[in-house]
Amino acid sequence: MVVITTKKPDEEVFEALENYNIKKLTLVSCATCAALCQTGGTEGAKEWKDKLEGKGYEIEAVVVSEDVCDNRVMKKDLRKVDDEVKSSDAILTLSCGLGVQSIVEVLANKYPEKPVLVTNNTEFIGMTERIGRFYKRCQACGDCLLNYTGGVCPIATCAKGLMNGPCGGMVDGKCEVGNYERDCGWILIFNRLKAIGRLDLFTKLRDARDWSDSGHQQEVIFR
Amino acid sequence: MESNHAYSKLGEALAKGDFILTGELEPEKTCDLSHLVHEAKEMAPYVIAANVTDSPLGIVTINSLAASYIVQRDAGLEAIWQMTVRDVNKLGIAGMLMGAQALGIHNILSLTGDHPNMGDMPESKPVFDLDSATLVKLVREMVDTGKINGHEIEAPPKIHVGAAANPNAEPMEAEVLKIGRKAEAGAEFIQTQVVYDLDRTIEFLTAIRKYNVPVLLGIFPMKSYGIAKGFDTFVPGVSVPKDILAKWKGIKTDLKTDKKLQKEAYDQANYEFFKPFITELRKKKLLDGIHCMAVHYPRIFPKLEEVIKSTN
Repeated sequence: MVVITTKKPDEEVFEALENYNIKKLTLVSCATCAALCQTGGTEGAKEWKDKLEGKGYEIEAVVVSEDVCDNRVMKKDLRKVDDEVKSSDAILTLSCGLGVQSIVEVLANKYPEKPVLVTNNTEFIGMTERIGRFYKRCQACGDCLLNYTGGVCPIATCAKGLMNGPCGGMVDGKCEVGNYERDCGWILIFNRLKAIGRLDLFTKLRDARDWSDSGHQQEVIFR
Repeated sequence: MESNHAYSKLGEALAKGDFILTGELEPEKTCDLSHLVHEAKEMAPYVIAANVTDSPLGIVTINSLAASYIVQRDAGLEAIWQMTVRDVNKLGIAGMLMGAQALGIHNILSLTGDHPNMGDMPESKPVFDLDSATLVKLVREMVDTGKINGHEIEAPPKIHVGAAANPNAEPMEAEVLKIGRKAEAGAEFIQTQVVYDLDRTIEFLTAIRKYNVPVLLGIFPMKSYGIAKGFDTFVPGVSVPKDILAKWKGIKTDLKTDKKLQKEAYDQANYEFFKPFITELRKKKLLDGIHCMAVHYPRIFPKLEEVIKSTN
């Protein structure tokens, strides 16, 4: 499982830095998911360091971390460069949105005044075919239907996330969204259920999803 | 249909088993519905009700519930309010269903709706909280039980709900099974996508007959060669047969100097194409009515009435 990220346009990142009037920075780069997406890791950190220095920014420290999204790891890694963080105007993070918010939380008490910015857009939880080819196949919806849909998720693969598809926008197994180039999620489900001899599951009328738990920040607490 | 009550003329006709003719009205991007009302008045003597579309292709138009109300009020034509689940969540739709009742709207066609991505406001959030089957179920829950989520509705809506089917869908088996779900949800009638292929239509209608839901066949008489060509080119999954296109092209070229004759020729060509088509399906007892989707072509209705009478 990888949290898939893509690079924001450089101008957008520089605009954010200017907006906060940043001169000195600590870079934190993710060596796991973002490295795989080529939006972080050691190379990404070097690339941003060069770009920033080329525009006159001062880089106080570069931290390449395996687990930017793990509060415990970030606490430890940032402690090692505490002086540099202290003298930085902001942290620039080469990670997904989790990484940014992990750092915000870790620094909240000691450096509440320091902005934490990000170079990437977070796209989705991705399945990897190979480097550079990632697909959204799960929406992390919290109520998995895969046991009944032939192992193909309608929430993530149907453009409309329908519980009872296909819709009228399906033509020859393809989806209206994206000019009939991508497979209709519900036809993928139909084909899978047919292959495993369980079309009875396809005939089942499914209720609308229950969103009653969606109105708060989600968390999993088991100890 | 579990309910024996009829809340509208369409509901009465369905209950009686009458052969039904419905039309279609397509509101545009305007707050002035005088053109729509004019068209509604023209078709009113021939149809029992007309669908009022809900921003088809995701291209925003005036709200279909408002337009349905105006059509009923100003043209005296019963509306089949098309409601897509694209733009409003379950809570919003439940409120709209009560609103529809208060406005005297008693028919709804439940549709998924074209994705906003395809239309002229692609930045809109696609909602799809319900789908076309669960909307049918919601309507039936509110109408039949007078409750929603177990909570009593003081004066509940009395609305007949229909669903769509696409005989052109491939793989057909998936579409057929989907219609089974819509029937289970409580759909009281089916209106199909436009068809031109008789064999395929027979195969599909035969397959869904077991669900025991009255079927209104979607047809699209073509007002001109331009319309026929456009339909063939731009409507995904539906192709107009080549011989039809050739015939219509012939009418366009041969009669270009006499518009009156040309109009009559188009109308007659439609009559000649659809009469045997409908006759065959009625003979096989696969049809309960016709849903004519040819918008802006109300003069075709007398011909369609003739077709229906001759196939009775």
